[in-house]
Amino acid sequence: MDWQAFALTLRLATVTTAILLAIAVPLAALIVLGRSRWLAVVEALATLPLVLPPTVLGFFLLVLLGPRTAFGRGIAVLLGHPLAFSFDGLVVGSVIYSLPFAVQPLVAGFASVEPALVDAARLLGAGSARLVLSLLVPLARRSLIAAAVLSFLHTVGEFGVVLMLGGDIPGSTRTLSILLYNQVENFDYAAAGRTSAILIVFSVVALAIIYSKREKRVSPAGGSRA
Amino acid sequence: MTKRFFPALLALLLIAHLHAQAVLRVAAAADLQPVLPPILAQFQQQTGIHTDATYQASAMLTTQIVNGAPFDLFLSADLGYPQRLIAAGLADSPAPVTYARGTLVLWERNDSGLPPPSLDLLRNPALKRLAIANPDRAPYGRAAVAVLKSLNLYDALQPRFATAENIAQAAQFVDSGNADAGLISLTAALTPRLQSSGAYFVIPRNLYPPIEQGAVVFAASPQREAARKLLDFLLSPPVQAELAKGGLTPVTEK
Repeated sequence: MDWQAFALTLRLATVTTAILLAIAVPLAALIVLGRSRWLAVVEALATLPLVLPPTVLGFFLLVLLGPRTAFGRGIAVLLGHPLAFSFDGLVVGSVIYSLPFAVQPLVAGFASVEPALVDAARLLGAGSARLVLSLLVPLARRSLIAAAVLSFLHTVGEFGVVLMLGGDIPGSTRTLSILLYNQVENFDYAAAGRTSAILIVFSVVALAIIYSKREKRVSPAGGSRA
Repeated sequence: MTKRFFPALLALLLIAHLHAQAVLRVAAAADLQPVLPPILAQFQQQTGIHTDATYQASAMLTTQIVNGAPFDLFLSADLGYPQRLIAAGLADSPAPVTYARGTLVLWERNDSGLPPPSLDLLRNPALKRLAIANPDRAPYGRAAVAVLKSLNLYDALQPRFATAENIAQAAQFVDSGNADAGLISLTAALTPRLQSSGAYFVIPRNLYPPIEQGAVVFAASPQREAARKLLDFLLSPPVQAELAKGGLTPVTEK
């Protein structure tokens, strides 16, 4: 078992999930609360990464982040190194790739909050930030957890974008999915089986812990809420 | 409506089935993609045999074939994968037929800011990223590692590798400007796209073991005759000359 790849994958998924939630919470709130017609376009764009095959998305990112575009050159100057074939590059790719998995549950969760509550909070003088953080997020806690779990797992399982953008460098871009793919392609089925087993057991245990902490829905007839 | 619909559907399925039977299914190594299509068209013109080619990394095709992918002929980028299929009892011959040899080149973009490609470029400290195909499975990746080892550059350059899944991806790493240079196939370097954007240097053949590209016909194929015909066609002098134009070395040449 390659623990370096395991640790790298966890680090990538954690960083990506944190950044995604920081982006997706305001974005989802804007989509749900905003009045502009253009928000439909914003939501469509935020869903777009689902449409492109991941390797194609990775290829576009490789070109966009590379030194042949002004954007790529600008980032290289800012960071002091080019983004492709680096951990930072994978973070950028993962954030874009998993964006729909963070935004969609939050949009659904925020939209299901009673509009009367939102209006009442506004009447009582809550600003947008307060409205989101003190009302929408707590009431849509389940959606927030779903968004975090989906973003994290989707990043762990991410393959096509990493393949194109990563360059298979141990310790910085060789993630578990790349390692697994290499093992399968090299006919090392025993190692691939072991790696997959560890990944699956880890995921099931982690998910079960998260889901067991989640409060149960209680029907009104069943008495008080937990 | 239904009464007519089902017989019509059945007839369509039958036609599709008959048509599928008549097509020769070729599993071809990714480095053949720029070279093979016009040759297959010529073959069809001369023999009336329709072909349907799938281009993939040889390792991927081998896995698919072992697991029952219905191909009639496999054109690999090396001899190892066909030998593996022979060992698995899937082929109809005891050894693969070498149909061409691959040529490794060092390719870089014209606007890379580095000196033109040569063996000296590999020793240049300004070469920060070198794209290669995965040496564990891509024949050109194996050849790339052999070259660097014979030049005693492997240990110095290994941390600077950007390892790609196959030769086409290695070329994309360089063509997109993200890697400074790449060890790729001559077949890729001769595509119009790469010819217009960069330049290549042919790696001397004494620096790596020959990339012998082998083919096998499958024992279970209902079209073994047609598959062998295509293999003979590939080995005929005019077609070998065409392969040479596309960047492969004819088997007759030393």
